[in-house]
Amino acid sequence: MSGRPRDTVSLVAGLAIAGLGVLLVLDALEALDLSLAYLAPAVTATAGAILLVHGLSRSRER
Amino acid sequence: MIGAMAVPADAAPAEDMRRIRRDPEAGMIGGVCAGIAGRAGIDPIIIRLAFVAAALFSGVGLIAYALAWIFIPARQGGTVAARLRPARGNIEAVLGIGLLVLSAALLLRAVGWWVSDAVVWPAIAAAIGGALVWRQFVGPAGAAAPAEAPRGPVQAETRVEPLPGARRLSVAGVGVTLVLGAALVFLWANGALDAAGDAVLATVVVVVALGLILAPVWWRLGRNLAAERAERIRSQERAELGAHLHDSVLQTLALMQRRADDPREVAALARRQERELRAWLLDRPPARAGESLAGALEAAAAKVEESHGGGIEVVTVGDCALDDRAEAVLAAAREAILNAAKFAGDAGPIDVFAEVTPQRIEVFVRDRGPGFDPGSLPDDRQGVRESIVGRMERHGGRTEIRTGADGGTEVELSLERGAS
Repeated sequence: MSGRPRDTVSLVAGLAIAGLGVLLVLDALEALDLSLAYLAPAVTATAGAILLVHGLSRSRER
Repeated sequence: MIGAMAVPADAAPAEDMRRIRRDPEAGMIGGVCAGIAGRAGIDPIIIRLAFVAAALFSGVGLIAYALAWIFIPARQGGTVAARLRPARGNIEAVLGIGLLVLSAALLLRAVGWWVSDAVVWPAIAAAIGGALVWRQFVGPAGAAAPAEAPRGPVQAETRVEPLPGARRLSVAGVGVTLVLGAALVFLWANGALDAAGDAVLATVVVVVALGLILAPVWWRLGRNLAAERAERIRSQERAELGAHLHDSVLQTLALMQRRADDPREVAALARRQERELRAWLLDRPPARAGESLAGALEAAAAKVEESHGGGIEVVTVGDCALDDRAEAVLAAAREAILNAAKFAGDAGPIDVFAEVTPQRIEVFVRDRGPGFDPGSLPDDRQGVRESIVGRMERHGGRTEIRTGADGGTEVELSLERGAS
């Protein structure tokens, strides 16, 4: 492991988007039926998590 | 010395005790339930169960918890909203929280844990609007406190400057609009606006909405009244303190100035004033000489002190009613104190220690005089022989008189309370 400080924002954003991508892939493969009723909360949760972590990290830097 | 050490009062201001504070250390998530339970004095599990039950009701509990987490300040530090507010970048965090709450609501709607769009969405809008209005009128913890109040380092860091008046009103206006809009949407979605027969429901909803808007004003009014009452009580206490100082301490000081040529009288005045002041400071009722042994012992010591001068320090542990046995010990102790004051009063203070237990009464009178041999007392000296030793023996007690090698005499009186 390198001594570089961990970038929490990138980590959370990456995980959230990766999770969303997995859902979309499963939907495309018809492994699950991802209707708009489920897609909307997934997208808003992803965006919300990224915004929240980014905002918190900026306030901490101050 | 009479009395006990005063315990310093808790330094936490009463204002802090009245406010709900999140307790993240005791909590499982954000400490909201633990904080509310701590304020209400109940088990946190009850609050947690209430939130879980509300969460099962279309996720209202989740949203309420999130809002409480944001707006209720933690014990150490301010609110999450206060920490987020000053920076432009924190708008992102607030939006993020909003999106997460929205996501939770949409997910609950998708899985079927949903009452009705006509109920939940107006409820969420009303909750947000109510929170905005409440916050503008009641204010965050840091801004509501007076500027001169002492603050810890954590509070100082998280202190929030109050919003300018215009911005404050505009934010409150958004809140009011949200609440009224939510109420109207709720009425419209439920058909209450179309049907005249539902006027009662409409009235109820409007009243509830108005109550939500006006509640912070009433809350603030109540707080102001409480603060005014506290100030009035403080003012009365100051007046009472001033009156007491005038009636007792200042009068005694004036008397001492007039008797400055008589050191013994001055010392007796000072001792009497000291006793009175200590009793007043410790909020101790005046000793009732005729009712309890401790009170009678203190009164006897004070009387001897006034008549013979010197200092007599009385310490009592426990107390009992003045029955025949206690009267006998008291009379013997009074004689011992009198002897000590007569023959050793100039050598230093006289210590009197009394301990009363359910089994026995013990009194020790110690002086710093030259001491004496009890066996060598002349026959005509009845004070020690009869008034102390003989009296104690007649009541089944005992007396021990000890003289130290370098002076000083201690008279020990002991009497079993159950003995005949």
